[in-house]
Amino acid sequence: MQHVIQLGATALQIGAVYILFSLGLTLIFGVMRIVNFVHGHIFAIAALVVASLLPRLVEGGFAAPTAYVLASLAGIGAALGLGALIYFFGFRHFQRDLVGSFILSIGFVLMLDGVLLSLFGGSVRGVPEIFPGTLSVAGAQITMQRLFLCAVAFLMAAILYWALAHTKLGKALRAVAYDHEAAMMVGVPYGRIAFLGFLIASFLAALAGALLAPVTIVSPVIGTDYLIKGFIAVIIGGLGSVPGAILGSFFVACIETVGGYYLDSSYASIAIFTLVIVVLLFWPKGVLGRG
Amino acid sequence: MDNKRKTVLHWGLGGGAAILLSLVLTDPYLRSVLTLMAISALLAASLRFVMLMGELNFALAAFAGLGAYAAGYMNTALSVPFVLALPLAGLFTAVASALFGAITLRAKGPYFLLIGFTFTEAVRVVYSKIPALGGTSGMIGIYPPLSLDDWMAGIVVATSVILLLGLFAAERSDFGRILLAIRENENVARSVGVNTYLCKVIAMSCACFVAGVAGGLHAFVNTVISPGDFSYLLAAFALAYVKVGGENYFLGPIVGAVVLVALSHYAIGLGGSEHFLYGGAIIVAVLLMPSGILGAFGKVGPRSVETKVRAARHAV
Repeated sequence: MQHVIQLGATALQIGAVYILFSLGLTLIFGVMRIVNFVHGHIFAIAALVVASLLPRLVEGGFAAPTAYVLASLAGIGAALGLGALIYFFGFRHFQRDLVGSFILSIGFVLMLDGVLLSLFGGSVRGVPEIFPGTLSVAGAQITMQRLFLCAVAFLMAAILYWALAHTKLGKALRAVAYDHEAAMMVGVPYGRIAFLGFLIASFLAALAGALLAPVTIVSPVIGTDYLIKGFIAVIIGGLGSVPGAILGSFFVACIETVGGYYLDSSYASIAIFTLVIVVLLFWPKGVLGRG
Repeated sequence: MDNKRKTVLHWGLGGGAAILLSLVLTDPYLRSVLTLMAISALLAASLRFVMLMGELNFALAAFAGLGAYAAGYMNTALSVPFVLALPLAGLFTAVASALFGAITLRAKGPYFLLIGFTFTEAVRVVYSKIPALGGTSGMIGIYPPLSLDDWMAGIVVATSVILLLGLFAAERSDFGRILLAIRENENVARSVGVNTYLCKVIAMSCACFVAGVAGGLHAFVNTVISPGDFSYLLAAFALAYVKVGGENYFLGPIVGAVVLVALSHYAIGLGGSEHFLYGGAIIVAVLLMPSGILGAFGKVGPRSVETKVRAARHAV
């Protein structure tokens, strides 16, 4: 029993990060119909800024939580700046052009690989503990840091879900995703909505990076791992579908946790891939995808 | 058929010059650059062949890897001779990609692309888990026969020219036209009785045969392969060659491979980073020269069927 709860808690923690990540991917695909490979680097830049600023701020005399909030703001700011830059100089010209935008995003990925490596160096870095202590639930141990991560991630997912259904911006985003020409005809400013959608997605990735920085080992290549898992989650759930992204993220997290516990983490990645193939055999557009 | 004779002449001159160059070069460094160019051109041409039907085959890296590992395993463990191992590696890859394509080509566009990406990463994990394939550290000692050692550059270039000729012939054939029709509108192609699904699987399989042989050549040239050689970056680089050279031209991937491989060797010599160069080249090409070097510098070389289709469509 204790096993099951511990595994469930771990799956929930991993799933929380995947949800933030894949929500961004699915949002960008839904609104702009592009596959954004730079998403992993937006995530990575936030994590890297937090991981390199935090120890310096703590040494400079700030209390750990204050330093963490400051570093996170800087990290998210840097990531949003990068996102806006990429949108204005790149993706703005390639909306609804799947192949063109993908090629462009690969260009950005390669370039940012070089930039991040020379800015932050190849070495991995540790980050001091911010919220010390662990919580014990029915014999399963959860560190406070990871609990905080889960809480923020689920809160953000809930806010996004609510906002998509109830706010004007959310409705506009959904309208554009459903049929952008019809949306423009009834007065939705497509260009502005696409930019906001891209920024919101980048914010979600940056938030995931800032949340993950204290509990994992951060290196410039960290983005690719999460990108692969995030894409698998949206393929399973269906590109462009918000509930699909959440469902897919949990699926991937569960298999990764259970497979990693009983076998080995690399067998877990093979199992996840097999699952994708099986899903595609029955639902070529994902479980909840409209296409 | 004046046009046909001209094409044959171009191929004879271009291919002959490339093979001749590989034979007269004596400097081992320049030879290695030339073989790398030939292998890169093969991979890029394979990627472009699938792009003819409007799909991006990001599993290219995985299939080049399968070819390399198949050739390496046959050569080191089963002592299959080089001359036989190379085509067998290609065939193995073609069969594997037909299976992969049969499942994944039911999906389209972004799904197909992303599955290829995840497949590439999954296959790398598989290599690292199989001790017979050398695990994480990879396979060593994949040597061509000693008597062929001096001729390796020539063999690589000659094989590349033959395979490129095959892809060219396929593109100019009726089958190539079907692929373009699928890209323009798959439903129309299906409505006139073309089994588009089968054609897509066959196209995928042909392209991956080429990728598999290219992988096999890579294994024999380097004598060492490891899972790290076949990450999705291989497909990203191939995409850079296609895009920089000009995707509307058959010569595009070849020109792109020659230019970018030469540039990257020059940049590495100056202490630059390969990723930065390729990334910058793709961005510049996509934003400023959407039809690549060949498109920007006029109509060099034979235009592909596809550009003719486009031109015809504009004229209407």
